[in-house]
Amino acid sequence: MKKNWRQKMKKLVAVCLIGLIPLGMAACGTKEDTDRNLAGKRGEQERTISLFSPMEKAGPNAENVARSAFDKTIAMAEETSGIYVEYFTYTAENYQDKTYDDVTIDRIRNCMDDVYLLNPDVIQKMASEGKLMDLSGLDSAKNLRDVVMAANVYDGKLLAIPQEVVAYGLFINKDMFDAYELELPETPEEFLECCRVFKENGIETPIGANRWWLETFVLAQAYADLYNGGNTEAEIAALNSGESKYSDYMRPGFEFLQQLIDCGYIDAEKALVSEAIEGEGPDFLAQKTPIVMAYWGAANTDTAYGNPDFELQVIGFPSSRGQMPVMSMTGMAIGVGSEHAEDAMRVLDVITSDEALQVYAETNKVISPSKNVEVNCIPALEPLNDRIEENVSVLASNAGMKLEQWGNTCLIVRKLLEGATVDECMAEFDRLQEEALRS
Amino acid sequence: MNKVWTNRSEKEKGIPLFFSVILVFCILGAFIGSVSWKTSAEMSESAVQNLTESLDLIKCTLEAILKNEAEFQKLIAQEIAGVENPLEYVQEYKKNQTMVKMSLILTGDTEGVSNTGETFSEDELDFSLGKTVEGMAISQSYLNYMGTWAYTMKCPVIRDGREIAVLYIEYVYDSIDNSLPNGFYNQKAMLYIMDAKSERFVLKPKGMGERSAGHLNLEDFYRANDIQDENLRQEVSACLAEGEDILFYHDVQGKNALNYMWAVNDGVSYLVGYVPVEAIQKEGKTVNQNIYIVVFTTLLAFVLCCILYYFSNRQQEKLRREREEEREVYSRQLAEALQAAQIASSSKTTFLSNMSHDIRTPMNAVLGFTALLAKDAENPDKVREYTKKILASGQYLLSLINDILDISKIESGKVVLNFEKFILNDLLSSVEAIIRPMAEAKHQNFFIEISGIAHEYFVGDEMRVHQILINLLSNAVKYTPEGGNIWFRVIGLSQRSAQYEHILIEVEDNGFGMTPEYLETIFDAFTRAENSTTNKVQGTGLGMAITRNIVELMGGTINVSSEVNKGTLFRVDLEFRISEDRVESRSEELTDIDSSNLEGLHFLAAEDNEINAEILEEILKIEGADCVVVENGKLAVERFMNAAEGEFDAILMDVQMPVMNGYDATRAIRALAREDAKTIPIIAMTANAFLEDEKEALEAGMSVHVAKPLDIELFKKVIRQCVKERKVL
Repeated sequence: MKKNWRQKMKKLVAVCLIGLIPLGMAACGTKEDTDRNLAGKRGEQERTISLFSPMEKAGPNAENVARSAFDKTIAMAEETSGIYVEYFTYTAENYQDKTYDDVTIDRIRNCMDDVYLLNPDVIQKMASEGKLMDLSGLDSAKNLRDVVMAANVYDGKLLAIPQEVVAYGLFINKDMFDAYELELPETPEEFLECCRVFKENGIETPIGANRWWLETFVLAQAYADLYNGGNTEAEIAALNSGESKYSDYMRPGFEFLQQLIDCGYIDAEKALVSEAIEGEGPDFLAQKTPIVMAYWGAANTDTAYGNPDFELQVIGFPSSRGQMPVMSMTGMAIGVGSEHAEDAMRVLDVITSDEALQVYAETNKVISPSKNVEVNCIPALEPLNDRIEENVSVLASNAGMKLEQWGNTCLIVRKLLEGATVDECMAEFDRLQEEALRS
Repeated sequence: MNKVWTNRSEKEKGIPLFFSVILVFCILGAFIGSVSWKTSAEMSESAVQNLTESLDLIKCTLEAILKNEAEFQKLIAQEIAGVENPLEYVQEYKKNQTMVKMSLILTGDTEGVSNTGETFSEDELDFSLGKTVEGMAISQSYLNYMGTWAYTMKCPVIRDGREIAVLYIEYVYDSIDNSLPNGFYNQKAMLYIMDAKSERFVLKPKGMGERSAGHLNLEDFYRANDIQDENLRQEVSACLAEGEDILFYHDVQGKNALNYMWAVNDGVSYLVGYVPVEAIQKEGKTVNQNIYIVVFTTLLAFVLCCILYYFSNRQQEKLRREREEEREVYSRQLAEALQAAQIASSSKTTFLSNMSHDIRTPMNAVLGFTALLAKDAENPDKVREYTKKILASGQYLLSLINDILDISKIESGKVVLNFEKFILNDLLSSVEAIIRPMAEAKHQNFFIEISGIAHEYFVGDEMRVHQILINLLSNAVKYTPEGGNIWFRVIGLSQRSAQYEHILIEVEDNGFGMTPEYLETIFDAFTRAENSTTNKVQGTGLGMAITRNIVELMGGTINVSSEVNKGTLFRVDLEFRISEDRVESRSEELTDIDSSNLEGLHFLAAEDNEINAEILEEILKIEGADCVVVENGKLAVERFMNAAEGEFDAILMDVQMPVMNGYDATRAIRALAREDAKTIPIIAMTANAFLEDEKEALEAGMSVHVAKPLDIELFKKVIRQCVKERKVL
């Protein structure tokens, strides 16, 4: 037995010594290539396209899941097409800065980039100016859900393709609701009651808000019946013809918002100068505010509300038809002045393909625009997802409406925050509707 | 004790050696460490220098671009000064990739025109920074109408030495991007251009991988790269305010990195970013890796050497220990052998000394009394007394010789048991007949107890059993003082087998006893309780050795317990095969024979020794018989052949004789073709006294075997028996 062990030891030592030989050789080895032109090849021109997108402010060591998902699809496109994608980004430093939408419009008008990530209002605006290319010919366009097509088709042209269907909802600190024995609100009245209880219990501002997303309250109440009442097309046609007024749809939501402001449930002044998440997020995560509004993906990413210290639940906005998700879509579009339009098309086709959207949806746990891709959501999103599964939602933007909704409503809500009355806001809607009808 | 001291000594030697090796390696490690540290330091210095040169190069490039732009703007201003309608010139100017907007404000006006078609006012721009390029004011960076970062330089339009307008040209940072290196430090470095006043990043990396860093402004850069040290930030702010460069180490994304802020154009803008040190020190990393490989390899080799040395040493130590153990075993065996040899030599010397004494003593008696006999031959009483003592001495000598021969045979393994049927009672009676007179002579009480013996007839070597009992009992008599008691017990134990009787024989006395030391050697040959030279008890010291050997030969056991002055108890455990046949009592046979007279018998004796022959003749003459003595076997055969049938009643045949020995002679006689040759008793009379000799004699055709020296009474009985049997036949 001992002899056997000794033999093993000898073998081990021999193996170690043999192992040392390559180590030594590796340590001493050098690479010399005297025949080669050391300047290397520089002749081949790299095919590139430029992509313009927003960039959130970074946090140290924070991983942005959404961005990672997007980057993964870009990497797929670069690998598949051999086209390198250069990013150009812009983020407003504060509310006084030009908005991303403003900058995007300038860049599209001046043909600065090939591909743009656009908000729905910008899509509609640029579409009206004829600045975006028709993407109907892309293979990936065939896979899109109807709701996606409805939001992005303008005059028969598909102007943008999203990578996710963005569903906005109310982000609820369930622990705080439980602490005050409050049921999750379904209707505006129930929501007001919850706010009242919070306020009475010392929570000064129950709703955290920013200058971008308060419109979701309005849109949810405005279009709950339009999109879920079974007469959507006729109602939109009436609006487009001027038979119906947008202001009639919008008024209840604005009045509700006004009530929230008047009761002190929303700090209008703060909201007016707050950027999305950056402004209201810290208080929500610190459990000083029980309610904020945000998009689906914010529940999945550490840079937003992905890792709270409390039980998070995402529900629809209060409406006459109960909790109502507000669906919005930021889409990828190509400018008509794109210098590399063909390459941009190829890249876009890849990043919106089912394979890429599968990767995107799995990474980001979002609703995919492709009818062929489905991914389970995280538990916090289930209440919102259940409503969407029931086909209960409103669109925040609709290319079929002559009056752009998302951007205009946002701007008019800001006016309300600045102190305009509801009537003044409704007058603005009427004016915009008239302008739209004239054009 | 010595060994322990040696081990400790080796251990004590090993500790300094161990610490010496550790010290050498510490020095070596410190040396390698210092070389590595020095190399790293030099490489760091080199890296800083390398980065500084690269940044200076980029800075010079940017400043050259700005200078060229400024000079070009001056040329345009000169051209505008020469045209008739400057405003029209500007409005018709087409933008290019560098100059995206041209505006002109005539002197005295607050608003002017742009080539973009809008009215232009200087209020849209911020020239408060007070910086210039080639003497031309440069504005703070801003987002222009194209949605990209831009800056504007203004220069006066001079005509005839008089300023007629101010020319504003807007340049975009995107155009500078084409002049910057593509993939700074193999795309590992991050490079931004920052507007110094607003601290906004106006030109950013475009690759996908660079998106993880803060892109917005300096604060975002700090936040993204976790630069939270307030002192450091204040130092950076001070440098920015002074338009100075700053370069510092700070970990970015967990990697050691050189962070830089490099002033361009006297601090109008800054090159901001970081380079991971490993990206600059690629060769440094390789050098360090190689140093580590060398160190690791050296350490590994050292460890392997240590392991090899340890195992080799252990192996040698083991071999040395084994050899030592072997040597010790050999030494011990040698010492034991020597001791045994010495003991044996001593024993044999003692034995020889005893023998010498024991032989010389009776021999002295024989010779002394013989001399006295010659002197007092006329005195019949003395003659009788002397002859009696000579006889006793002779018998003692005989027993002495028998014992020596016995032990010699036993030790050489030549003893063979002679199994015959016997009667236990006869055996015990014969033993009692011998021992009781001895005990009575010493006034000792001799008790015999027989119990539990289920059978009477057995098969075994009666002679040897007799010998055992006589040895034990005679010793008991010898070593028990006068008036002492001797118990002889024969106890039948429960049978282990139906065919064998299990018997325990006990011989006990209350005599001198033995010391424990002597008990250990009592069964060894050539030992005796007391030296015969100092003790009146006579004996060879072989009796117990013979006894034990015979007992063991019979498959039995013998043990002894004894206490000095209290007595001794011997226990012999034997099994005898039970005989199914009845055995004739030998004592009856012997008693039937009238041994008192050989009157009228005529013998032929073959005896080469004249003395023996004479003794024989005399004895026979005394008994009324006569004999014809011949000197060897051949003569005996011839004499018998020549004798008439019935002339001799028996032939007394010595065995060892010249010419023809007794056996051959017997065979020759028996082979003779005469009637009495087959029947005449031939009695072996020989000094070859062993059982084997008797057996051989009988096999040769002899009728009976009588050992020399002759026991006259026994001799007579045997002769009478043989003669009687012949007559019956």
